[in-house]
Amino acid sequence: MLSRSEIKSFIERTPSFKNTMPSLQAIPKSPRWMIRETQEVIAIARKFNEEVVKPYVLTLDRKMHEDPDYLPWDFVKKANEWGLYTMWIPKLFGGRGYNMASMSVFVEEIGSVCLSMANLIGVHYLGVATLVASWNTRLIDRICRDVVKGEKTGEPCLITLAITEPGAGTDVEEMDLADKGNITCKAEKVPGGYKLNGTKIFISNGHVSVWHMTIAYENLDKPSDATIMVAVKTGMDGFSFGRMEHKMGQKGCPASELIFKDCFVPDDLVAVDTRQIDKLNRSKKDTMQQIIDYVVAATRAGVAGFATGAARGAFDAAIQFAAGTKVNGKLLINHEWAQCMLAEMYKNVSLARISYVETNYANNLFGMYKLLQLKPVYYFLKIVPHFLLDKIAPGFLNKPFMTWVFRKLQLDFQTDEDFHCTSGWGSLAKFSATDLGIKNCHMALEMMGQAGLRHDRYAEKFFRDAKLLQIYEGTNQLNRLNVFKCFMANDYPQAVVFEE
Amino acid sequence: MSKGSHRELKLLGNAAADFSRKELAPSREENDKYPYGAFFDTVINKAYTIDFFHIILPEDAGGMGQGMAALSVVLEHICQEDSSLGGIIFTCSAAHEIMKAAGSMDVLSQITDVAENVNDFLIAFPVFNNPSEIPHLACARKDGDRYILTGSIEYMVLGNIAAKALVPAKISDDNTFSFFLVDLKDKGISISDPILSLGLHACPATDISFQDVNGILIGEENKGKDYFNAMAEKFHVAAAAMSQGIMKGAFKEALAYTKGRFQGGRQIVNWSEMKMILANMAVKIKVSEMILASATVAVDENGNGWRECAKAAAIHIQELACDLTTDGIQVLGGVGYMKDFGQEKRFRDAKHIQAILGLAPLKKIDYLENFIM
Ligand SMILES: Cc1cc2nc3c(=O)[nH]c(=O)nc-3n(C[C@H](O)[C@H](O)[C@H](O)COP(=O)(O)OP(=O)(O)OC[C@H]3O[C@@H](n4cnc5c(N)ncnc54)[C@H](O)[C@@H]3O)c2cc1C
Repeated sequence: MLSRSEIKSFIERTPSFKNTMPSLQAIPKSPRWMIRETQEVIAIARKFNEEVVKPYVLTLDRKMHEDPDYLPWDFVKKANEWGLYTMWIPKLFGGRGYNMASMSVFVEEIGSVCLSMANLIGVHYLGVATLVASWNTRLIDRICRDVVKGEKTGEPCLITLAITEPGAGTDVEEMDLADKGNITCKAEKVPGGYKLNGTKIFISNGHVSVWHMTIAYENLDKPSDATIMVAVKTGMDGFSFGRMEHKMGQKGCPASELIFKDCFVPDDLVAVDTRQIDKLNRSKKDTMQQIIDYVVAATRAGVAGFATGAARGAFDAAIQFAAGTKVNGKLLINHEWAQCMLAEMYKNVSLARISYVETNYANNLFGMYKLLQLKPVYYFLKIVPHFLLDKIAPGFLNKPFMTWVFRKLQLDFQTDEDFHCTSGWGSLAKFSATDLGIKNCHMALEMMGQAGLRHDRYAEKFFRDAKLLQIYEGTNQLNRLNVFKCFMANDYPQAVVFEE
Repeated sequence: MSKGSHRELKLLGNAAADFSRKELAPSREENDKYPYGAFFDTVINKAYTIDFFHIILPEDAGGMGQGMAALSVVLEHICQEDSSLGGIIFTCSAAHEIMKAAGSMDVLSQITDVAENVNDFLIAFPVFNNPSEIPHLACARKDGDRYILTGSIEYMVLGNIAAKALVPAKISDDNTFSFFLVDLKDKGISISDPILSLGLHACPATDISFQDVNGILIGEENKGKDYFNAMAEKFHVAAAAMSQGIMKGAFKEALAYTKGRFQGGRQIVNWSEMKMILANMAVKIKVSEMILASATVAVDENGNGWRECAKAAAIHIQELACDLTTDGIQVLGGVGYMKDFGQEKRFRDAKHIQAILGLAPLKKIDYLENFIM
């Protein structure tokens, strides 16, 4: 009926097929084994929930109420024993190499019981993703192998992302805002490395982590052109932990202050700096935004996974209450209004899940997961034995050439359209799912009344925990603006964002 | 309403506002640590000595004999800073009101007249449950002219700080219940540790069990529902006033923060999306003020349809407060989630208060069934 070129021209019109249906485009390209692998991930999460999370969820939260400075080493060690800190590290770098998209599914499962513990696992992968998005293969290999070693020795080696500063939260997430912001974390070039000064705040898992992927700026007057990412190790001279925040919820997961005072970071711990990205196609500012978006397009899907978990946990608490409580002489679950409310909650869980699943398909196609999801790469990495990879991989990953190749493939070859699709979907999933998560927490508490107020009925904890999801990884307002930027602004040349 | 009472309300409002600012705001974070921190006895004692617990208590019983407008104005100001004290005043006043509705003023006077301190004065009451909806009831049996209580009551508010409790209990097998006053020092009573709860941390609740405990019947047998409803019909406005106070506190803190915080090179209040959020908050508060003002007047003056007004006001204002306090945190970004600011507590407290006097959705259905159909 229509010629190929006609079809192409129609499907490229807004809303484009590319942006609206990542799943349909990705599924035929996806390795079939991913299904089994994802099923396995769900099973592992459920087993971990049964054996570790459920028996500990109320105890940990109570402990934190009692002593807000308690550090959850017991849980972190358990998760480390279970291999959860290497599960989504690519096999190439010594990890277990589960497909990245399945991490959102995993955190949904854990989050449906306890968001703090889900965060204690999931946020480590925010650090991993940040490290990986630098595509500095030598450093990725070094730090990831530290994590693997930590698993073997029983000394957990977690990674954080440290970007937020006391004076700049939203501003450091957006390069368009950075230059107007009150950014103070300075990296001064000195012989053999950088000297870091400044403070980072709210860093999830800070006190229990070993490596901190830290964003700093060579020039505070124009940070957008002078952003660098370095790896700082706990214990390094000039680096210390400050206060641990006392939070409303997600109490089990520390949010830490990181303090840098003349902290010397040697060149070999520099993941990206302006000199390294000078030769890439995009400007320094655009490249840094691309790297940040590479990370958050993936990790915001993870936040949507947490939020789906929260929506589900609140729903579970409500339906169990409804099934066991008589209201006005009959079980609540048999009141029609309650059935509709439960259906609404079920819908919220499902929509939240769909939002992150779709985002992950976009990431599989155009974002961070792209290379590893290519069938030949995927199956090769699945089949080749660990010991063999461990023997050969570090040798070539340490070559500067490999960093160049990866950056070419992942940064230069990623088109602006690819970048907008993944970043837009990441933001869309993030604010949609987290709003739905909070909605379900409200509904559960409304349905449960007095019972819902009690800590031992779980709903109140989900309510406190879930609120954080609307704030971190960019507030939901910032994410709405990013959806406008990625999916709408390009069609209207007169549209500007962050410049009203 | 007479001019004099307007002036009285204003004075009362000023006293409550002053008290909130001086006594509640500075140690809000500390007081909220309960049960893992100390209980704010000193504050409660001060509130007691300036008669915040006596507002609706009839003058005969040593109270101020004021109406719901007075109670509401005090609760609103107190809840701007710390709703826990509001919860304590509300609970004790609700128990007083039930006893008043039941015609048990003599029993009540015996408590209020002889109380030597606030603990003697307070009456614990499970104010978050409507016993006609979810029958959390103890059992009572008649033994001569005494009543003996057994069983348990969940979430008895003030259970660990009050000397007496007002307990809903069943005498017969039908759907009715009766109220009994019990002495919480009775040896047949066991009281749990304070329950760790969503909000109102310093307005503690406990589970209580009864083993052959003496109870004084309040009013008549099997009339508990009538007494509860008589109290609730009026007290909906007081609950709404608490929510309104929380909203005002949240808005004040939000607006102040947005003027002092800079992102993107400007005060965040100057981003139009932020203005939109703040505007929505401000509109909610104005609407709430208007609704609550007319509902309280209607209640105190027995105006036409006052029961509908009070209930609709409470349902709507409590919902508004839950929405608004979410934004209250959001406006502050990360710090809104932290204990050193007031927003996270207001978010919890607003949701907690929505559950007062029974399940929120059932309040709606009940509204339709009782007033519209
Ligand atoms: C518990 C917790 C854990 C965290 N974990 C980490 C972590 O591991 N690593 C890390 O680096 N960071 C972390 N963060 C920081 C988090 O990402 C920031 O809090 C978030 O980005 C918001 O920044 P902010 O708190 O400085 O708020 P601000 O940026 O000051 O924002 C305050 C308000 O202003 C609004 N606003 C700001 N700019 C604009 C604008 N241009 N237009 C409209 N509205 C605007 C915001 O939406 C918000 O409502 C964490 C935060 C918390 C609370």
